[in-house]
Amino acid sequence: MRKLGRREWILLLFFLVTLAFTGLFAARAFRRAVYWRQHRDETIRPWMSVGYVSHSYRVPPPVLYQAIGVEPTPHDRRPLRKIAAQQNRSVDTLISELQLAIIEFRRSHPPPPGPPLPKGGAAP
Amino acid sequence: MNLSDYLLSGLGIYGLPLLFAALLVGSVGIPLPASFLLLAAGSFVAQDDLSLWPVLGLSAAGAILGDNIGYALGRWGGRRMFTSLSRLFGGMNRVNQTENWLKRWEGAGIFFSRWLITPLGPIVNITSGLNHYSWPRFLLYCVTGEALWVLLYVSLGKLFSGQVQAMSEFFGDLTWVIAGLLVALVLGWSLFKSFRSPPMRLKSKT
Repeated sequence: MRKLGRREWILLLFFLVTLAFTGLFAARAFRRAVYWRQHRDETIRPWMSVGYVSHSYRVPPPVLYQAIGVEPTPHDRRPLRKIAAQQNRSVDTLISELQLAIIEFRRSHPPPPGPPLPKGGAAP
Repeated sequence: MNLSDYLLSGLGIYGLPLLFAALLVGSVGIPLPASFLLLAAGSFVAQDDLSLWPVLGLSAAGAILGDNIGYALGRWGGRRMFTSLSRLFGGMNRVNQTENWLKRWEGAGIFFSRWLITPLGPIVNITSGLNHYSWPRFLLYCVTGEALWVLLYVSLGKLFSGQVQAMSEFFGDLTWVIAGLLVALVLGWSLFKSFRSPPMRLKSKT
């Protein structure tokens, strides 16, 4: 009997731990989905290429290449990390230059007139 | 910079060879963000920076090869180690019970752990080898499951090519939710059975 009791306790413990673990991940997945729907722009990461950033933020690649002082080349898959290393500077500086260029581009190219946006709603 | 950042940077720099190697190593059991790599590869395909068929072919080949290495390790390398380890987990009787359960569900286990519950893949490979599960069958489920996984994630990456990071985080969590629910189901069922079975019978077994 004693042995059976211990086994059940262990099973119950594992069962509850698994449920808690599953619940945590489900809550996180839900939060991510909600956030994703509200903010379509991705945080710029060192693995991304200039092409990827331009695609994700819907900004023409030449604008971004110009902002970081790189000659645009087709099919350039180089990650920002590598470009920063080639330019002898930190990837964070490179990323903040890209962010500034994106903000600047969006300011000078507002979305075509459609239903009116709430005040300040278009800022990234 | 984390591991994902380094691997994805590598995908940009080295392309297909890195994709093949990472999927192979990931399928053997080294925890790598393989699904994230497939999504990113899909995004590169969408931007014409990688071609679709080589991405699909090499990814699937890497994953299938890795699975078979795991199977071989279980089949030819692991029995003695497994037997000594099994003493820690309630002796051979319990292990045999688990093995019987696995034998019954192995086909579905192999197939679904390729694409739906990917974190379980490496464990399923090794247990399939340990159980001497028929290799041609293992290969069949392995090829179909991995082909589905690669196609699914590369297509998703291609479709949502501007939101790879967000997609990967979301699907990563979703995979753990599915795996967690499955484990909870198995544990809950054993608990239920253990409550229902008369204690005398179990006592006489030990």
